[in-house]
Amino acid sequence: MNWNLFVTEIVAGVSHGSVYALIALGYSMVYGILKLLNFAHGDIYMVGSFIGFGIITVFGGPLNLTVSVWLMLFIMFFCAMLGGGLLGVMVERFAYRRLRNAPRIAPLITALGVSFFLENAAQLVLGAQYQSYNSFGWTNSAIALKHFGLPAHAVISYAQVIVIVGAVVLMVFLTLFVQRTQLGKAMRATSFDREAAAMMGIDVDRVIVATFFIGSALAGAAGVFNGIAYQQVWPYMGFQAGLYAFIAAVVGGIGNLPGAVLGGLLIGLAQSFSIGYLSSTFSDAIVFAILIAVMIVRPSGLLGRAAVQKV
Amino acid sequence: MVRRLGWIAIAAAAAVLAVVSAASARTSAQAAATASCTKGVSIGMQAPITGPAGSIGSDQLHWALFYVTQWNKTHKVKIHVIQEDTQLDPSKASTTAQALASNAKVMGVIGPAGSDEVQAVAPIFRKAGLAFASGSATRVSLTNGAWKGYFFRDVPNDGVQGPTDANYMFSKLGVTSGSSVMVVDDQESYSTGLADIVGQSLAGKGVKVDRESVSQKATDFSSLIAKVGASTKVVFLPFQVASEAQLFAQQLQAQGKTAVAFGSDGTFDSSKFNVNGSYISFFAPDVTTIPADAAVVKAFHKQYPGATSPFGAPNYVLAQMYASAITKACKDGRISRAEVRKDVLKVNLPNTILGGPIRLTAKGDVAGAKFHIFKIENGKYVTVA
Repeated sequence: MNWNLFVTEIVAGVSHGSVYALIALGYSMVYGILKLLNFAHGDIYMVGSFIGFGIITVFGGPLNLTVSVWLMLFIMFFCAMLGGGLLGVMVERFAYRRLRNAPRIAPLITALGVSFFLENAAQLVLGAQYQSYNSFGWTNSAIALKHFGLPAHAVISYAQVIVIVGAVVLMVFLTLFVQRTQLGKAMRATSFDREAAAMMGIDVDRVIVATFFIGSALAGAAGVFNGIAYQQVWPYMGFQAGLYAFIAAVVGGIGNLPGAVLGGLLIGLAQSFSIGYLSSTFSDAIVFAILIAVMIVRPSGLLGRAAVQKV
Repeated sequence: MVRRLGWIAIAAAAAVLAVVSAASARTSAQAAATASCTKGVSIGMQAPITGPAGSIGSDQLHWALFYVTQWNKTHKVKIHVIQEDTQLDPSKASTTAQALASNAKVMGVIGPAGSDEVQAVAPIFRKAGLAFASGSATRVSLTNGAWKGYFFRDVPNDGVQGPTDANYMFSKLGVTSGSSVMVVDDQESYSTGLADIVGQSLAGKGVKVDRESVSQKATDFSSLIAKVGASTKVVFLPFQVASEAQLFAQQLQAQGKTAVAFGSDGTFDSSKFNVNGSYISFFAPDVTTIPADAAVVKAFHKQYPGATSPFGAPNYVLAQMYASAITKACKDGRISRAEVRKDVLKVNLPNTILGGPIRLTAKGDVAGAKFHIFKIENGKYVTVA
């Protein structure tokens, strides 16, 4: 057995899966509270990635960085999460709020519209060209080139370590926030029954805004993680990543936060192992086959609970 | 009510049919018509002037315009260029082709740039009786006969590229019978076609070919690179997006693999693909390195300051071919699309800025055309074969 290939596929899968999981968390949070499939979420991830690229440019570009890499990374994550969060709040305020009591199809179509709007606006403002974080050539520390050794002569780059550790830290923070804080409890209550939560004195509007902010901030961070590990950013990058994250959320059980993380990791690993061991040509087909198989066996996802229909 | 709606639908369908028929008849009439040469002759130019391939398309446009500007300074019959932006998108190419086909002043077209685009516009130009010529579409099947007499190109096709690349890998890059080459396409038709041709050429020499495929939007190749073994000497990357090849080559080096990345025409962009030690095959020479072209290149840079790439110069030659055909067709003071079509296929340029003669075969390919191989050294492309 080629253990080098096996370990490399695990690293690639977990690293990709971490990014999908972060995006999937946003999908799940919004769906849990509003029962809305926010298809614009992938484009917030794209905006976050471009914010990170903008910070690199401000500090002289990848080959002429004028500040320490670690300081720049901190600023990139701060700005991308803040920018992504605020964009998410704006989208909720201007595109979804008026449709809260409309038939379910209306906000769904609006979400697609917002997605196209963000993609085309980004292309208009930022251009259609692919841009690169080029963390292979960062002046002070080429984090994509430097690596730690793993068993079987496999390696994991600093950038991949940052992605995996960073994603875990954010997920732990999110879990603690949802479990331990008052706002987190309000989010869980709203997710359980929005009307009952309102009757119990919970400010549902505030909870929804907070949900969009946190979910979108995670997507913004995912955009930067993707940039530092996989370099490329372009206006349409959100569609594909958003699609995989959506699959991850559904596979894990949409509305369920641990499910989103599990789904993300599963999709990431399925992708990398299908490329490594089966066929690079059919890796997408394999990922979607997993989705279909999970849906047939467990229609509510791996960790989702079947909805009880009251009649 | 239902009956009334039915009548309305029938009337609307009839109206649409009438409009389409009228437009179609108009196009056919325009194709057959002759025009006076005294007010000048127009040619269309389809190129990806904006979008992801905007830098390539602008360069193509500039070289064609540059030739026409030079020509108009010294010739009585002036040539006008009508520009159409395709963004390397076959659907946009079709729409703009329709506009050129409907314009009775247009006597020939330079472009489109991509093979998929050529396939999309071919039925439109054929119906309109227009000659159209690409300086970068290299798919073999484009000159297999369906559009014979209408489509031509001044660059070699992928059928020449496959054996050229395979021979170079075999003779210079340590590939031997029994060693391995990974061939990765980007799931687009240009890429898969070329990957198949190169793969077949290598397999014919006894090389083990690991045929792989990635999405054009993929950014992580580590799963695939893990499969690159010690016996793999070359990874062939016929991608359409240069930055994707850059990413692959960077990740290849980051994983400590010694295999050499080898790109193709789609990756030819030194600002996007510049990993030292990599190779690229390309359908045209770098005219900036040909001593005989120094004066032309200098004049070009005067008119269009900034960098140029080998994507541009073939369009200069296409404009030259049209100018030659237009001169011949305009001898009686009038010109038609049929005349241009007939004359442009007979053009024989003994010497061009591409470093050799241009004469077309009956199919519309260049007789004796060859591919060029470049090595990336210090971020620059150096001609090695």
